[in-house]
Amino acid sequence: MRRVPSAALRGATILAAALLLAAAPADSPLNVPEPDGIWTGPQHGYTPATLAGATVVDIAALDALMPGGPLLLDVAIADRKPQNFPADRPWLPAHRSVPGAVWMPNAGAAPTDPAHEALFYERVAALTGNDKGKVIVTFCHPDCWGSWNAAKRLVLKGYTRVHWFPEGIEGWQDKHETAVIKPDPAWAARAAGDAQR
Amino acid sequence: MKNTLLLALGLTLSAAAINGPAGAAGASDGDAERQARWDEIAKSIFGARKIEPTDTLIQIDAPARALDAALVPITLTMPDKGRIKGVHFVIDDNPSPYAAHFRFGPAADPGELRLRVRINNYTNVHAVAELTDGRLVEATKFVKASGGCSAPMGMSDEEAMRGMGDMKMKFAESQPGKPLEATLMIRHPNFSGMQMNQVTRDYTPARYIQTVSVTYGGQTVFDLDGDISIASNPVINFALNPAGKGPITVAATDNQGGRWEHSFTAPSPSN
Repeated sequence: MRRVPSAALRGATILAAALLLAAAPADSPLNVPEPDGIWTGPQHGYTPATLAGATVVDIAALDALMPGGPLLLDVAIADRKPQNFPADRPWLPAHRSVPGAVWMPNAGAAPTDPAHEALFYERVAALTGNDKGKVIVTFCHPDCWGSWNAAKRLVLKGYTRVHWFPEGIEGWQDKHETAVIKPDPAWAARAAGDAQR
Repeated sequence: MKNTLLLALGLTLSAAAINGPAGAAGASDGDAERQARWDEIAKSIFGARKIEPTDTLIQIDAPARALDAALVPITLTMPDKGRIKGVHFVIDDNPSPYAAHFRFGPAADPGELRLRVRINNYTNVHAVAELTDGRLVEATKFVKASGGCSAPMGMSDEEAMRGMGDMKMKFAESQPGKPLEATLMIRHPNFSGMQMNQVTRDYTPARYIQTVSVTYGGQTVFDLDGDISIASNPVINFALNPAGKGPITVAATDNQGGRWEHSFTAPSPSN
């Protein structure tokens, strides 16, 4: 579920929520505490407003980072072909994302196969040229823990300029054109075990 | 005459600019990519058949920005209805783009069709009308919606399947000699196969309406080939030829062997 409320609606929601802040329940969008480490609960849901050790960016802040050529890491889940999808119908998945992004589908999943986590670190090391100070931006969709987790993994690994863009692809496409991108080949070649999870 | 043409062209171009994807940078790249995508889909559905653009034979009305990507209302208008044999509806950027194919029969009044679809991403949608002379004509529109194909229904699968195959039909007030507008509602989750249970992380298998056949007094109104891109609990608005009489039957099948038939009675025209 990646439905994005309009900015006005979101603004009104935030205002209403702000008025009720004292009484906000733990599952409200404004009061999601940071988990201790990687989040292993449902991967879709309200996410925290913060990420210790990383910078949370909105679209304006991302736009400001773009001229510096950040490593853009898209960890959105790939569209899954239904197992019983008829062979005679066209199935033509196309992943639209921020142009120039590296797409590692579901690299924020948790729990995950340790080998996949190791491959994720390996790929980021290669993509940053082993520069722990490289500007990195992780994203997927709104209310998606995957990009929070991916950023968290990088913080835990010692990357110092990690950015998390919670508005994700929807936030980008609201302002800019997207591009169809293919998964990172090395990431796509991993064992397909939890590739869809 | 020349000026009128230029003006019309200008209006068309500016309409395209308004409807087109909001691209600050690389908009032309994006447009080319979207066109290539459509060419690929059109080839997979229509083969080498030529598809001509039209401003008049079919028109799409859809919200430029959908409130709910899993339930995007689409209205197709075919003013020159005597020339319409069928309609294909395509959602370009859905992984399963070919959302619906309607074939009209003699008991239809194919002036207008409405249905609700799932939209996965900001995308062009295309409506292709099949004309009685065999030509194909297309209209397109850009729709901003995201995540509709994988959006869970917000209830358990069991709940979503309760009453599966139940149908209702509502009729607008009818007038003698005027097409009779009808709304068909089918209770069916139309699971896309892309919806994940957030707790178990399992996907609900695709279970969707594959065919719907509507007849009026034994004559075909329309035959529909459906898809996972049609919203859950399908609602289809269509119109019946006023010359028809007799019972209206609806037969629907899904891809898991479900088959349901219901019969309805059209109201008699009031004066």
